[in-house]
Amino acid sequence: MASGGTMTLFAQFLVAGVATGCFLILATIGFSLTRRVEGFLNIAHAQLIGVSAFTTWAVNVLLGWHILAAAAIGIVFTALVGLAIGRLVYEPIRHHGPAVMLISSVGVTYVIGGIVDAAVGTGIRTFDIPLATSYEFFGVRITDYQAMVMALAALSGVSMALFLNKTKIGLAVRAMAANPELAASRGIDVRRTSMATWLLASGLAGLAGVMLGVVATLSTDIAFRQILQVLAVAILAGLGSLYSVILSGLIVGIAMDVSVLWIPAGYRPLIAFALVIVVLLFRPEGLAGRKSS
Amino acid sequence: MIWAQLLTTVVMFGSVYAVLTLALNLQYARGGMINFGMVAYFAAGAYAYAIVTQAPPEGLDQYLFGFAAPWWAGFLAAGLASLAFAVLTGWPTLRLRGEYLALTTFAFAEVFHSVLLNERRIGNGSVGLSNVERPDVAWTGLDDTIVYAVAALTMMLATAYVFNRILASPYGRVLDAIREDELAAQTVGKKITRIRFEVFLISAIPVGFAGALYAMITTLVSPTLYTAEVTFTVWIALVLGGERTIVGAVLGTMALIFIQESLRVYPFETVRAAQIAASAEEILTGAIFIVMLRWQPFEKLMKKGRPS
Repeated sequence: MASGGTMTLFAQFLVAGVATGCFLILATIGFSLTRRVEGFLNIAHAQLIGVSAFTTWAVNVLLGWHILAAAAIGIVFTALVGLAIGRLVYEPIRHHGPAVMLISSVGVTYVIGGIVDAAVGTGIRTFDIPLATSYEFFGVRITDYQAMVMALAALSGVSMALFLNKTKIGLAVRAMAANPELAASRGIDVRRTSMATWLLASGLAGLAGVMLGVVATLSTDIAFRQILQVLAVAILAGLGSLYSVILSGLIVGIAMDVSVLWIPAGYRPLIAFALVIVVLLFRPEGLAGRKSS
Repeated sequence: MIWAQLLTTVVMFGSVYAVLTLALNLQYARGGMINFGMVAYFAAGAYAYAIVTQAPPEGLDQYLFGFAAPWWAGFLAAGLASLAFAVLTGWPTLRLRGEYLALTTFAFAEVFHSVLLNERRIGNGSVGLSNVERPDVAWTGLDDTIVYAVAALTMMLATAYVFNRILASPYGRVLDAIREDELAAQTVGKKITRIRFEVFLISAIPVGFAGALYAMITTLVSPTLYTAEVTFTVWIALVLGGERTIVGAVLGTMALIFIQESLRVYPFETVRAAQIAASAEEILTGAIFIVMLRWQPFEKLMKKGRPS
């Protein structure tokens, strides 16, 4: 039954696409949060994914620590690096406007990329973890690590939603995103809120970096390849809310992986950008439909 | 001797890149458009030149077209290709503002790069096209490198001259008016989208020519030579030179290429040492970029020199 085989294959790529999408959600939530609160596109966000992946790798493989301890160190370290960059580099140039901040983040990308290159060197790295176990449901295979990425993305999504809606600092973050001047005049501690944003956004990049190391092999150019996809998801989401990021992450992930059925795999990243171009041409405000501020 | 060589290299590559910086200066510093896909127009020129001048495919070649035309035909085709790509990308995107324009141009460049990398029928895919035709310059009696350095310098000066004429004209003042206050310019009857589109096209043509010259110099056209790194290098050069002046754009590019090339002159004993030097170059470049944008020293100097 040929059509049954095609359906299974399609379902297989769909599952892979959802897993890719979940990773992209983890990688983009922080980027999108920075865009909303700090008001600019932080190209260097993806470099933090690399920082986390290689810190975790160093602690896990070179020092021989357990992966969970290594991941915790990687994530915390990345959050602190992100905070430090936010305070030292971006805060002083805020008055130059978002264009200068965007261009500066390219400089930050170079600096972090160079440091990672110098420290890690060339070659392929992998974490010291057991090989993935694969489970089969109705002929469709899924590995335990893919399932973990999906679970973590879901968990991060839910906790972000709770954080932004239920906690005081979360509400402050949303207020800052909506109208910084008004937020400041209503007594919101702008500095503290901004610091919380940097920690949170960078920590999420850290989590994404660990996940990347779990499901894939690491090389130092990995961060740059991620930024392309993160940008695609973020634009598709209209640089907007958490929910639109989740939706666009899944769309981009599924579109990229399912496209492999018809289009050579080399074009996989191109699918993400073709989507972006189409969306920007017809809906410059993104899928979410809200006019971006 | 090594210094003479370094100087020639810097003038040669510096001038080619300076053409790109000048185009970016026109688009961003004067026109307010953030183009993060400069490399695509450069690559379009280089590929057009290579395809028009190369011999028709034979043996293991996977490309479809080769017209074996003389170099000047390829050179003209390069300008046209870059212009065509600018029409294709500029027409739909120029109504987008600021960061959206940056992202779309970036996206277009990545898509173009991906097509060049994967589509073997254009330029052998990732292998690229080697032994690209270059005009015979033996009649000058000089070293090839020097002739090409002079050619690059001439191209840069010509670009600077034309752009300067444009900016000094009433057209240039309209451009400044649009950048400073779009609404006001619109109110006095200036067609903003149209003028931005024109500037986008005008600035793309010399970038295509520079691509052709770059292909002649390297005699190789492959996707690895045309990555987003080219775009970022040009941006860093523009920031380094201080925005809004033609002299600044040229000096910034020369300084950046000089820093990069002089770090490359030093012979390294081991692969690891070379790798660390490459990383150091990256870190230094990024740091200069951040510092320049934060303190904008040239901007301040210019303001001091200018009677207010």
